[in-house]
Amino acid sequence: MVSIAPAPATERVLTVSDLSVEIRRGDRVVRPVSGVDLVLHRGETLGIVGETGSGKSMTGLAIMGMLPAGGRITGGSITFGDTELVGLPPARYRGLRGNDIAMVFQDSLTSLNPTRRIGDQVAEPVRLHEGLSRREARRRAEEMLALVGIPRPSERMDDHPHQLSGGMRQRVMIAMALVCQPKVVIADEPTTALDVTIQAEILDLLDDLRARLGMAMILVTHDMGVISRHADRVGVMYAGRLAETGPTPALFERTRHRYTQALLASIPSLTHDRGEELYSIGGAPPDLSVHDVGCGFAPRCAAATDRCRAEQPPLVADGAEPAHAFACWHPADGPVERTPARLAERPAAVDETSAAPRLRVVDLRREYPAGSDGWFGGRRTVKAVSGVSFDVAPGETFGLVGESGCGKSTLGRMLVALDRPTSGEVVFDGVAVSALRGRELGERRARLQMMFQDSSAALDPRMRIGAILREPLAIQGIGTRAERTARARDLLDDVGLPGSVLERFPHELSGGQRQRVGLARALALDPSVLVADEPVSALDVSIRSQVLNLMRRIQRERGLSSIVISHDLAVVRYLSDRVGVMYLGKLVESGAAEEVYAAPAHPYTAGLLAAVPGEEGPAEADRVPRIHGELPSPIDPPSGCRFRTRCPLATDLCAEVEPVLEPVSPTHQVACHFPLQTKEGAR
Amino acid sequence: MTAVDNAGDPPATLPTPTSLRTVLRRFRHHPLGLVGFGLLLLIVAFCYLGPVFWKTNQTDVNLLDAALPPGPGHPLGTDTNGFDVLGRLMAGGQVSLQIGLLAALFATTIGTLYGAVAGLAGGVVDGFMMRLVDVLLSVPFLFFVLILSARFHANAWTLALVIGAFSWLISARLVRGEVLTLRVREYVLAAKVMGASRRRIILTHLIPNAMGVIIVNITFQVADAVLVVAALGFLGFGLTYPTTDWGSQLASGVTYISADYWWLIYPVGGCIILTVLALNLLADALRDAVGRKAD
Amino acid sequence: MAWYVLRRLAVSVLVLLGISAVVFFLLHVVSDSPGRVVLGQRASPEAVADFNQRHGFDRPVVVQYVSYLGQLLQGDLGRSYKLNESVGTLLQQNAGRSAMLSLAGLVLALLVAIPLGVLQAVRRNSVVDRVATGLAYVLYATPAFLLGLVLIAVFSQQLDLFPAEASQSHSPWVVFTDPRSMALPVITIAATSIAIFSQYQRSSALDQLGQDYIRVARAKGLPERLVVTRHLLRNACLPVITLVGTMIPALLAGNLIVESLFNYSGLGLLFLNSLQREDYPVLLAYTLIGGVLTVVGNFVADIAVALADRRIELAS
Repeated sequence: MVSIAPAPATERVLTVSDLSVEIRRGDRVVRPVSGVDLVLHRGETLGIVGETGSGKSMTGLAIMGMLPAGGRITGGSITFGDTELVGLPPARYRGLRGNDIAMVFQDSLTSLNPTRRIGDQVAEPVRLHEGLSRREARRRAEEMLALVGIPRPSERMDDHPHQLSGGMRQRVMIAMALVCQPKVVIADEPTTALDVTIQAEILDLLDDLRARLGMAMILVTHDMGVISRHADRVGVMYAGRLAETGPTPALFERTRHRYTQALLASIPSLTHDRGEELYSIGGAPPDLSVHDVGCGFAPRCAAATDRCRAEQPPLVADGAEPAHAFACWHPADGPVERTPARLAERPAAVDETSAAPRLRVVDLRREYPAGSDGWFGGRRTVKAVSGVSFDVAPGETFGLVGESGCGKSTLGRMLVALDRPTSGEVVFDGVAVSALRGRELGERRARLQMMFQDSSAALDPRMRIGAILREPLAIQGIGTRAERTARARDLLDDVGLPGSVLERFPHELSGGQRQRVGLARALALDPSVLVADEPVSALDVSIRSQVLNLMRRIQRERGLSSIVISHDLAVVRYLSDRVGVMYLGKLVESGAAEEVYAAPAHPYTAGLLAAVPGEEGPAEADRVPRIHGELPSPIDPPSGCRFRTRCPLATDLCAEVEPVLEPVSPTHQVACHFPLQTKEGAR
Repeated sequence: MTAVDNAGDPPATLPTPTSLRTVLRRFRHHPLGLVGFGLLLLIVAFCYLGPVFWKTNQTDVNLLDAALPPGPGHPLGTDTNGFDVLGRLMAGGQVSLQIGLLAALFATTIGTLYGAVAGLAGGVVDGFMMRLVDVLLSVPFLFFVLILSARFHANAWTLALVIGAFSWLISARLVRGEVLTLRVREYVLAAKVMGASRRRIILTHLIPNAMGVIIVNITFQVADAVLVVAALGFLGFGLTYPTTDWGSQLASGVTYISADYWWLIYPVGGCIILTVLALNLLADALRDAVGRKAD
Repeated sequence: MAWYVLRRLAVSVLVLLGISAVVFFLLHVVSDSPGRVVLGQRASPEAVADFNQRHGFDRPVVVQYVSYLGQLLQGDLGRSYKLNESVGTLLQQNAGRSAMLSLAGLVLALLVAIPLGVLQAVRRNSVVDRVATGLAYVLYATPAFLLGLVLIAVFSQQLDLFPAEASQSHSPWVVFTDPRSMALPVITIAATSIAIFSQYQRSSALDQLGQDYIRVARAKGLPERLVVTRHLLRNACLPVITLVGTMIPALLAGNLIVESLFNYSGLGLLFLNSLQREDYPVLLAYTLIGGVLTVVGNFVADIAVALADRRIELAS
């Protein structure tokens, strides 16, 4: 659903020109924003996109006059209507804040005051800015809660924030920001912490409210997909500067800046040809405490010349489209002209069909007691995983995808025997590892490794990288110390890190480097199965593609069987041969990746795919309405089909009879009474 | 006592570096911690090296020289038994510091073992062990120490043991909490996946990472023990002649407050305050350097 | 909520049972022959044995404990053989005065420490913050009796503003009827608590200032004063409330010292005198009451925090 841009309104609501910000912390001075120009027109959405540390959030905070401690505006101006905001007295700024310019922050557990009722929190800006009585302000708050789609708002007014789900909390946040009907709203990563189906709802809500209330919106995000679907115009930021700006379609179709071009190419998409490597940008963003000469992207840019390294490129308008401007000495013309690297074909030795499965998961279940205190606790249990079965062949990659709370991580932990199943078993090379204990398990485990999501938590902060990589070998008693060090060096080489890293501590590496070390460690014992739980979720786009390509290459070279667990549909698709979709502890669909993504049979899968921003989604998805509502509690899951409470196609049958996985084609199964693909329909 | 100010940090925060080198580096940037450390060194030098240069008779009562105000030969005067106050401060300081350190080591050892066992065992065992800690924490401990030291004559060792026996509870809670968070850290899980034995995980991951919290705790406990010894001395249940410590010295000085023997009160009071202050400053700086919270 | 209170109550009762057992058995170890203590060192072994038998002290310790528990449940705290008086009566005569002293100290400490800690957090690293932190360190490092002495020396002997002795009236209300004589004792008992509470409050407020909802409140356009009073204060005080519960043993210990220093007859002095008399039933009862107060304090604090912050209920 691409929002239709209003007729180009000429009324400028907000103008940022040549804005520079510096933050002083002790002796260190960082310049997160340098010379940024932005214009916001009435009624439009301006997207600001960039990676961590690009200065996008700091720009938003500067407009709000809410720079963090030690931060100050060192140059430029911000005008709102006729008012210059830079240097505005605090009291007058406060009069604007929350009244004329409002901000929606990323949802976090603490974005609402935990000890105050949500009605009062929403009413607060009205009472403050419009001086309404308590009763009237509450009435306005209630209206606003209804407007943002909180069901039965009068009953929720007296709730406390912890009683709401993440999606509902974010709606309250939006209500709070919009209750005074501001002219400008700045949404800073408003949906980053939310699941993809909820994210789609929240973004649509913001679009709708913007149109209805006639506001202008600045949408700050790291997600190009969100931008493509929801922004009228875009500003791409890199290293504190505006790299490129223009109307959304123009920027995507006729990309000029080399960074934008590379960034767009390195995002895996749902329709990516799996035979091709992802484009990836080498290196990492620059350190902003060092004063830069020249283009900040030059060190990572393939087209960079001496000029790029010596002179800062100015923002110039594109000849064809004056609204489109970029700061690049050697502009590109449109998306990357790909001469994509083909991935090596899979080693022929692995014959998938004949070989016995390397890993078999048989009716795996995991329940654990709800609440920790066992003194008076009832018998309530959380049904995290409820009867999941699948096979993984040698050399095959199986992707597990689902939203938070679907049980995919619990399942992953059981696969590597970090957690014991309540019933069912995990069979690895013919042995049920879930039943092994002690030494036997210790030895068997060596061949069954795991890569963790957060590399900073997965590496012991007190150990050098050398010791971290030697540890698995030491545990299994392989080789002498010198041999282990040699092996560690080889492993680093395999993941593209120099040997000098051996002497470093984890905190001295970047996130991408740490994730590579995590992968190297998982490979140290030469496992035949690798479980990767959200392997790239903590990484920025440009670093993410590096790690994804690396994982892809290693999977192929080593004939490794892997299980990739992620909430990110594109990541799973890029890495996996087959996928399984999980919902509330159940596998609702599984099959060959191409088939599932191209022709989803389960309404949930179809809804999930349709909700991914920036993707057109499969044509069939059009007849599936969006998934609405929230995930039911895993303590008390719905009867019959667990998805029925959110399913647009549900009937009484779905509540009574639980559907089982049935094939729609030889390589595609679905658990649904009313699958979107029938046996006949599937080729 | 202070929390690290982290309001408005940039989003990309590095994980807490806790290698010894970084701890030392951070510690060096902590002026108050350095003050505490320097002060402590001075105090220790005063108590242990002082007697080498300032030789006094601390064994024979000399009533002829009793309660002399500061003057030549006795820079801080003499007490009511005729002992030189400066020399007595050194001797008493040794005992106070020894008791404090001993009690803290004793408490921390028991507390660490207890807390680690509870945290590692988990489940019912953990529940029972920690309820027991709750119970003992609710028993007013000064009362017990008083009862015990009234019944049995206290010497430096027994005093340290008794104080330690009551102050291990906080360490136990602290270490248990630390173990509970550490054992679900992903690097511990990673070691498990590699097939590491329980012993190996405890030795290579849990203990080194919990060490910071434990060291900080020892420092705080020394400070508290020095204060408890002083309070006991004041209440009349401190060490008995000929051994002395700062608490008993202060307590006996207090008896003569109306006689205006100020040199019997303020020098020793200052010593206690400075020592506790130095230890607390040091502990706070260490805690910040280690990057964890420990109360 | 009712369920939470009930569960918390059950735990408290268990802890109380545990305390009574610990205190009883420890005291039994210290004094296993009350007859010897009561009759003195010169009494014949027969007389001692006879005394112990008459009062049931020759029974197994577990039996003694159970019968003691039974007495406790009937409100009988035992009997002081030295003073030939029921322990309950002795405690009753002194409890009110001690309670008022502690309570006044606690209230004073909270009244000073909470605003101070919040102010320090809001103005962190300012001169005010640094001076207050420095004072807190020094105050914490000062033994309570030394502080009391200095206060007496300065305010009573030098300036003659307050008397050096507390009021000798037997009314528990002297804090109100004779505030001048109570000023120094109350300040002394509050001082250490002020140091601890203010630093704790500062650190808790700093934690809260880093939370997102504070930023949201500022984005609404609230002036800093309202951000602090409407949003920060309540959340930042919760941990300090919990701390009050755990500080009760320390407050009671403070009573011992302050009562003895200012010669204020209360439970603390009673305890110290009983200690010299080796009057174990009194010691046992008072130690037990200290434990009970601690448990009750913790219980009340937990319930108060749960009422203010409904998340607690779910988390436990």
